[in-house]
Amino acid sequence: MESGAVHTQQQEEEKQKQQKEEEEEEKRKQQKEEEEEEEEEHFHVLAVDDSFIDRKLLERLLKESSYQVTLVDSGDKALEYLGLLDSIDNVNATSSSQSPQQECIYGEIRPGLGTDIFTGMKVNLIMTDYCMPGMSGYDLLKRVKGSYWKDVPVVIMSSENIPSRIRMCLEEGAEEFLLKPLQLSDVEKLQTHLLKSPEKYSSIRIDDSSFNTESSSNITVSSKSNIASKRKALSPEIEERRPKLKGLAVV
Amino acid sequence: MDVLNQLQRQYTDFTALLYREGFVDDNFTQVQKLQDESSPDFVVEVASLFFEDCEKLVNNMAEALEQQDVDFKQVDSHVHQLKGSSSSMGAARIKNVCIAFKTFCETQNRDGCLRCLQQVNHEHTQLKTNLQALFTLERQIVANGGSIPVMQ
Repeated sequence: MESGAVHTQQQEEEKQKQQKEEEEEEKRKQQKEEEEEEEEEHFHVLAVDDSFIDRKLLERLLKESSYQVTLVDSGDKALEYLGLLDSIDNVNATSSSQSPQQECIYGEIRPGLGTDIFTGMKVNLIMTDYCMPGMSGYDLLKRVKGSYWKDVPVVIMSSENIPSRIRMCLEEGAEEFLLKPLQLSDVEKLQTHLLKSPEKYSSIRIDDSSFNTESSSNITVSSKSNIASKRKALSPEIEERRPKLKGLAVV
Repeated sequence: MDVLNQLQRQYTDFTALLYREGFVDDNFTQVQKLQDESSPDFVVEVASLFFEDCEKLVNNMAEALEQQDVDFKQVDSHVHQLKGSSSSMGAARIKNVCIAFKTFCETQNRDGCLRCLQQVNHEHTQLKTNLQALFTLERQIVANGGSIPVMQ
């Protein structure tokens, strides 16, 4: 009799323990998902400037507007970050094969969506100083526009108001030319560039009726902030396969 | 008038003076606007960075100007950097000296450059002293439970 009762008790305790473990696992998973969702929800800006005071100011401005920021101090570092340093044209090599992990996470993925196929890293906006030693902002602009990051908006910043320079940059595809020092209002204005072509930047970020998404979640981006409201959670399987972002932030 | 009021009055007057005398300009106001509860020491941090940077650049310029054969392009690039950062900082006087400095670099006028360098040094010291006084006032206001008056 006794042994039977003890046995049941043991089973009971084990079951409880298991339950508790599962609950904690679930909680951990949820937390991780939330963190990753937060990471996903903020627009990611790659900022390039050789002046570290300007980098500091820019970082503050962008973070104040809830952007995620990666700062580099040269055009070369920017290219390195974007995976463009070895001038091999990656587009042709990879456009034909769509890696399944990308399909699951981002839906339809094409090069030039602001997302690197290899790392899943996304860059929503590039902001670069014009006048830098070595590679200028203009050179960087040209490189970016000639690569699979070509659809990412590029904004040029300069302390000098030179119309011919401005024209040249805009003609080369710069989204905007901002005069330094930048102000909060300049940064807020940038949001419109980011939201201009929603289907280009993320297939799940913004609710677009032209999309055939399974989930009927209404994802809207408010004009006040650039934080998208909750989107559907990733399945755990996918989480594991998605590589983590490796920042090369240099301040 | 209680201590806090006095301090705040001092702060407002001093700030007004700094702007009036051209030590700082509107860009400095913009930098101040970036400070908030999540970044309470932002202005002090940026100011320190700026002064460090300024010193470094001044040393580089001095070295370049000491050479037998002055590389004015080098000097100019340092001045350009300083001009940029002083502009971003709102350090108006320093920025203005840089504008003149650049002209002397372009005309390869060594004496003119040396004079500007001296001026930069002078303005740097003055601004540093002034801002330190400003930051001290801020700390005192906060220590006395007050809030820092906002510049109109």
